[in-house]
Amino acid sequence: MMEEELIDKLKKEIINVLNLEDIKPEDIGVDAPLFGSGLGLDSIDALELIVLMEKNYGIKLKDPAQGKEIFKSVHTMADYIAKNRIK
Amino acid sequence: MIRLCATNIVSSLGFSSKENYEKVTRGISGVKLYPAGTLDVPKDFCASMIDNERLEEAFGMHCEPKADYTKLEKAAILSVVLALEGTSIDPADNDTLFILSSTKGNVDFLETDPYSEKIYLWHSSRMIADYFGNPNTPMIVSNACISGACAQIVAHRELSSGKYHTAIVVGADMLCKFIVSGFQTLRAMSPTFCRPFDVDRKGLNLGEVAATMVYRVSEEKEGIELVTGAIRNDANHISGPSRTGEGGYNALKYICRNIESKDIAFINAHGTATLYNDEMESIAITRAGLGAVPVNCLKGYYGHTLGAAGVLEAILASYALQSHNILATKGFGKLGVSQPIDVVGGLRTTDKDYFIKLLSGFGGTNAAMLFKLWRNDK
Amino acid sequence: MKVIINKYRYLGGINDEKELTLLYREMGIEYSKFFKMDGLCKIGFLASEMLLADEPERFQPLKDRAVICFNGSSSLQDDSNYNATINDADNYYPSPSLFVYTLSNIVTGELAIRNKYYGESSFYISRIFDAEMICRTVNEAFMDEETNSILVGWTEYFREEKEALMMLVSRADDNAKGELMTVERLQQIYTNERQYKKEDDGRRIN
Repeated sequence: MMEEELIDKLKKEIINVLNLEDIKPEDIGVDAPLFGSGLGLDSIDALELIVLMEKNYGIKLKDPAQGKEIFKSVHTMADYIAKNRIK
Repeated sequence: MIRLCATNIVSSLGFSSKENYEKVTRGISGVKLYPAGTLDVPKDFCASMIDNERLEEAFGMHCEPKADYTKLEKAAILSVVLALEGTSIDPADNDTLFILSSTKGNVDFLETDPYSEKIYLWHSSRMIADYFGNPNTPMIVSNACISGACAQIVAHRELSSGKYHTAIVVGADMLCKFIVSGFQTLRAMSPTFCRPFDVDRKGLNLGEVAATMVYRVSEEKEGIELVTGAIRNDANHISGPSRTGEGGYNALKYICRNIESKDIAFINAHGTATLYNDEMESIAITRAGLGAVPVNCLKGYYGHTLGAAGVLEAILASYALQSHNILATKGFGKLGVSQPIDVVGGLRTTDKDYFIKLLSGFGGTNAAMLFKLWRNDK
Repeated sequence: MKVIINKYRYLGGINDEKELTLLYREMGIEYSKFFKMDGLCKIGFLASEMLLADEPERFQPLKDRAVICFNGSSSLQDDSNYNATINDADNYYPSPSLFVYTLSNIVTGELAIRNKYYGESSFYISRIFDAEMICRTVNEAFMDEETNSILVGWTEYFREEKEALMMLVSRADDNAKGELMTVERLQQIYTNERQYKKEDDGRRIN
């Protein structure tokens, strides 16, 4: 899957699983921080993203602390998925 | 005053308060590592569970099969029956109110029989109260993990108002795939035995218990009195503890407004052994000016027993105070919270007359109760 | 002691969360946390927004306001939704964002967070709207000396029953405006509001 395709797919999945109803894919900057400011995601959202990785891409995160780096932005998420996906 | 008149604990450590207390003083824990597949959960987990066969046997011996009861209802009924044994308390009295504390009741029925009335907590409470022929509609508290404390605070209010003379408080939650999977997906569970307030703590264990406390209006100055209680919300996050310990701090301040901290033997904390809960509690305790009061926690013996926790732990703390003891915090070794609180690692003695039970739960809830020991010699 | 009902609002005739979202937008509220909530929290939230919209100094933190809610079904709607993420062993992906709502008292937490209420928050289960029990419980909650007002809610959201009656009650003193809270008046308010809902066909908002 092309990186652009994956990023588009990922944005839609994030909006879906995190119930970001007022956000469109074009509102999410590829390199914009997902946590902190911006989308205002919290610890439960981070856990939901961990489930997303496993459900849609077969990636199991042993240590949730890894999430801090992986979920920095859509870009870092896509990179990690591209390297580690099983599905 | 509102006096504690009878108690019972039905747990992995036995079916009487006395047996549970003795095992806890000897450092025995009911927590085990259960392999993947237990309760149909695909990952292993640490928990304490009531042996089903033992429960059936005890129920058969002490109770009548008046209806088709779930495990939770059997454990709760058995607990009340055993608590009342040897007392003159009549559970069918007009003046007696049942108060049930449970977070999830028979939630496992959602999967097996979703249109059964058993999925409703009001149904379970009715089954339990009806067993004893009690004519009053039971109160049912469902306030996350502080429910057990809330049920006792409600008992205090109901008895103080004069409408009832006796309150039978039952806290019960049974483990199932629903509950275990949920805490696992929140990454809240420790892969091994929990370590409250410890620097290496990695999360909670779970447990299933049914526990009973019978409170009555009494002027006899002996035994354990429930002096006061308070419930306060953090108004911060629905599942994360408040970094300032806001609710815990406010609840503690309220219950201690008429006493001095030097008179408190210990604070029995919630101490689930998650990174954030224990840190938050240490902040709440310190902010409330109680930083010098010994702190202990009993989650290492049973795990987190959810709706039963407030009742179970208050019973054990009461037994301890009556024996002039402070129970050891199983699993604690080295302090791992930012406040220099005094966590009790080994069994201690005390000559003080008060203890505090502190709890917190999802939804930003926090509860604190103040108990007093009336000594015959004073 | 005497308790005054300052005001109340009823929200009924709701069929699903889509309708709740529609109402959220109609009301012009901007609170993105709304979309994370389960149906029970959404209906409680919207009914309380209707009730509190005209509060002077809204969002000033209040240490003396409690939030106490009641229902018959606890959080069974969200419990069912969460259960769907675990009941197929071959498609087992327990959802953390659904699990955190599998407790009925979370609605009281959401209301406390939204409105900055630092007082008591409690939740009780009752098969039906039991005016006697609600009246007694609310009265007794004022035994906490720091509680001066309570946001009381009957917040139901399961299968055919989706409704929320939110009330603001306070200690009766010289400043309290409203009517005396009695068992009869509580029952009357609830019965009337539900009746309007049935007669209305559409959504009943007082």
